[in-house]
Amino acid sequence: MAALAATSRQRRRKSSGGLKIGRPSFLWSLPAITFFAICAIAPLCVVVWLSFTSWDALGSPAWVGAGNWRTLFHDPTLRNSFKVTAILTGLGIVTQTPVSLLLGVWAAGYQRNRAILSALYFIPLLMSATAISIVWLSLLDPYYGLPHELHWLFGNGFFEHGYLFSYPSTAIGVLTFVGMWQWTPFHTLIYQGGARAIPQVLYQAAAIDGAGRFRQFLYITLPQLRNTIITSVVLMLVGSLTSFDTILILTSGRPGISTTSTSYYMYIKGFQQFDFGSASVIGVLLVIVSTIISLIVVRASGWDKMRSTQEGV
Amino acid sequence: MSPSRKWVRRGVVTAALALVGAALFAAFGARSSGAAQTRSNGRPANKIVVLVYGDAQNPVEQYAVNTYNKTAEGKKVKAVLETIPGANYQTKLQTLMGSSNAPDVFFNWGGGSITQFQKAGLLLPLNSFMKANPKLKSSFLPSILNAAKIGKNYYGIPMRGTQPVMLFYNKSVLAANHLTPPKTWADLLSDVAALKKGGVQVPIALGGADQWPTLMWFEYAYDRVAGPSFVTDALAGQSSLWKTAASNKALADLGQLINAGAFGPSKSWDSVYFTKNQTAQMVISGQAAFELMGSWYYSTIQSQSASFAAKSLGYTAFPSIPGGKGNLNDLAGNTENYYSVLAKTRYPQAVADFLTVMYSPTFVKKELGLGNLTTTTSTPALITGTTAPYLKYQYSLIKKAPAFQLSWDQAWPQTDSNAIHTAVAGYFDSLDAGTFETAMAGLKPAS
Repeated sequence: MAALAATSRQRRRKSSGGLKIGRPSFLWSLPAITFFAICAIAPLCVVVWLSFTSWDALGSPAWVGAGNWRTLFHDPTLRNSFKVTAILTGLGIVTQTPVSLLLGVWAAGYQRNRAILSALYFIPLLMSATAISIVWLSLLDPYYGLPHELHWLFGNGFFEHGYLFSYPSTAIGVLTFVGMWQWTPFHTLIYQGGARAIPQVLYQAAAIDGAGRFRQFLYITLPQLRNTIITSVVLMLVGSLTSFDTILILTSGRPGISTTSTSYYMYIKGFQQFDFGSASVIGVLLVIVSTIISLIVVRASGWDKMRSTQEGV
Repeated sequence: MSPSRKWVRRGVVTAALALVGAALFAAFGARSSGAAQTRSNGRPANKIVVLVYGDAQNPVEQYAVNTYNKTAEGKKVKAVLETIPGANYQTKLQTLMGSSNAPDVFFNWGGGSITQFQKAGLLLPLNSFMKANPKLKSSFLPSILNAAKIGKNYYGIPMRGTQPVMLFYNKSVLAANHLTPPKTWADLLSDVAALKKGGVQVPIALGGADQWPTLMWFEYAYDRVAGPSFVTDALAGQSSLWKTAASNKALADLGQLINAGAFGPSKSWDSVYFTKNQTAQMVISGQAAFELMGSWYYSTIQSQSASFAAKSLGYTAFPSIPGGKGNLNDLAGNTENYYSVLAKTRYPQAVADFLTVMYSPTFVKKELGLGNLTTTTSTPALITGTTAPYLKYQYSLIKKAPAFQLSWDQAWPQTDSNAIHTAVAGYFDSLDAGTFETAMAGLKPAS
C-alpha cells in the first residue's frame, strides 16, 4: 500500500512539475461549478420536470405529459405577454440609453458642481423598487396626485384625463417612465465610468485638428463607449425580461392584460392560480428566450471577440 | 489543437460536470426531504403551532395562546403563535400546508379557502371535539359554524369576527345635498343624480384597481335580484344559471348605475386602490359620498381620520331591488375567520383545549375591543365602549339576516378567484354581459 501511494505521489509530482506552463488545474473551477449546479442547473432541471406535471403546491405533482405546453401554446394571454415584454423592453432601452449616455458623459467631468449634482441624481439607485413604485402610485393618484394638481397638463385626452392606470397606453407609459426614473442613475454610473476611461490625448488631438464639442462626442466619445453601450443594453435586456416588482405594485398587469409581462404572468399562474405546472412552462420559455436573445446580442455586437477600443492609443 | 476547439471541449466537460453535480444534488435533496418527512410524521414534540394572518389584531390571538398555555394541558404541550405578515396569506399558507412545517391550527376564511385542503385530506373534522365538549358547538351562531362545514363535518371554529359588507357614506356630503341614505335601488340612482348635480365628482368611490371591491357590487346585486339560492346553486355546479333572465337583470341594474356615472367617468375606478387608502381619502374629503365595503372600513377610516370616523361616517344596509327575489336583510361579506386543524396534528387534545378559549368571555371581550364582531351567542351581552353603536348595528343586521353570502372569491376555490376578479372588473369596464356570464359559467364547481 505504502509503496503504491509513494509511486502515485511520484507520478503526480512528475506531471505537475516540468516546464509546461498552462492554465490552472481544472479542479480550481470546481467550487464555482458546484455552486452553479446547485443554484442554477438543479432548480432548472426541477422546473423542466414540473412543467410536465400538474401541481397546486399540495400533495405530489401528477404527470400530465405535454398537456401544460399544449394549453399554453394556445393561450392568448401568454402570446400577448411576450408582446408586452417586448414593448416594455424596447421602450426601456430607447428611453434610458440616450438619457443615461448624455448624463454619464456629462457627469464624467471633474467639476465640483457636477459631482454634487450626480450624487443627488444617484439617490433613486439607493431605493428599493417597491418603495419607488409605491411613491409613484401616490404621486400619480388621479384625485390627489400630480394629475389633479397639474390639471392643465394631464387633463386632456393624451393623458386619458389623468386616469393613467385605467388605459393600456398610459399604463405602459407610467411603467416606462418609472423604469426610467429608477434605472437611468445606474446606467449613468456605467457610462460615467466608461467616459472617464477614454484617454484625454484623443480629445487633445481632435481639438488641435479643429473638432468642436459635438464632433468630439460623435467621433471619439461614442465609438470609445461602444463596449459600455453593449454592456448597458445587455443589462437592460435581461433586467426587462425579468422585471416584475414595478408591475406588481403599479398596475398588477392591468388594465385587462395590457401590462401583464411574461414574468408577471408566471407569477399569476404560480402564486395566484396555484398552477405550478403552467408557471414552470413559462419559466422554461423565459430561460430559452433570454438565452437566445443574449446569444444574438453577443454575436451581433462582437462582444465575444473582446476587442479593445484602445488599440493603437 | 486550436484554442477554440480546446475551449469547446472544456465547455462540454464543464457542462457535463455541472449536470452530474445537479443530478447528485437532486438525488441527495430528494433523500434528505424524504428523511425529514418520516421525522415529521411524529411532528414536533410538546408543541402545537398556531398560524394566523399577521396584522394589528395579533395581540388578542397571543392572549388566547397564553391563556391556553396556563391550563393543565398547556403546561404539557405548549402552543406557539406564528404569523404570516402581508396580504398574501392564502398564497403562503398553501405552500406551507404541503410541506412538513404545516401548522397544527391555522387561520382561514372557511368556504373555498379550505376546500382544497379538505380534499387533499389535510383537515381534521371537528365533530369528535364537539361531541366530547358540546359547548364548542352551542357557543357559536349556527349559521356561522355552517359556513365552515363541508358535507357532514365541521372544519372551523370562529376566531375573530364577522365582517358584513355595508354601504358607508359621508354624512356631511349627504346633508349638504339634502339627501337621505338610500333604501331602494331607485333611491340610490336618484341620490347619484342629485350628487352629480351638486358637484360631487364621484358619487360612489370604488377601488377598481383592487378588483375585489368591485365584486361586492355583484354579490349584492345578484342576491337582491336572483335571491340567495343563486350562488349556492351556481356553486353546486348549475353553471347554466349565469345565462338566465335573473342574471341578465342583475347585470343590467349594475350597468344602469355605471352608465349614470355613479363611479366617475368610465374606467376611472381602475386607477384607484382601496388597499392604498385612496378611496377612503375620497370619502373623507367629500370627493365621493358612498363606498361599499366590509365592516373593517370603520378602522380603515379611523386610521386616516379618527374624528371623521366618530362624527361623519354613516353606514346602512345595501338597498333593496323591488321585484327581486332577495330579502332586504340578506348580507354578503366575510362570514367569519376560523381556526382549522391539521389532520396529522400530534396533540389533538391540546388543540381541542386551545379551541375552547375562543368562546371564553375575556377573549370575546378583547375581540370586541378591537371592533371585531364575534359570533358567539354571548356577544350581545358583552358589547360595550365607544364602538358599541357600530357593533350593535351590525349584530342586529346579522341576527335578522335570513342569508349571509360568503364573498364569491372565498366561496369558490382559491384557484378560481383570479378568474372571478377578472370577470367582474371586465364587466364594469366593458358592460359586456355575455363575456361575464361565460366566464362565470366556466368556473369549476367547489367540491
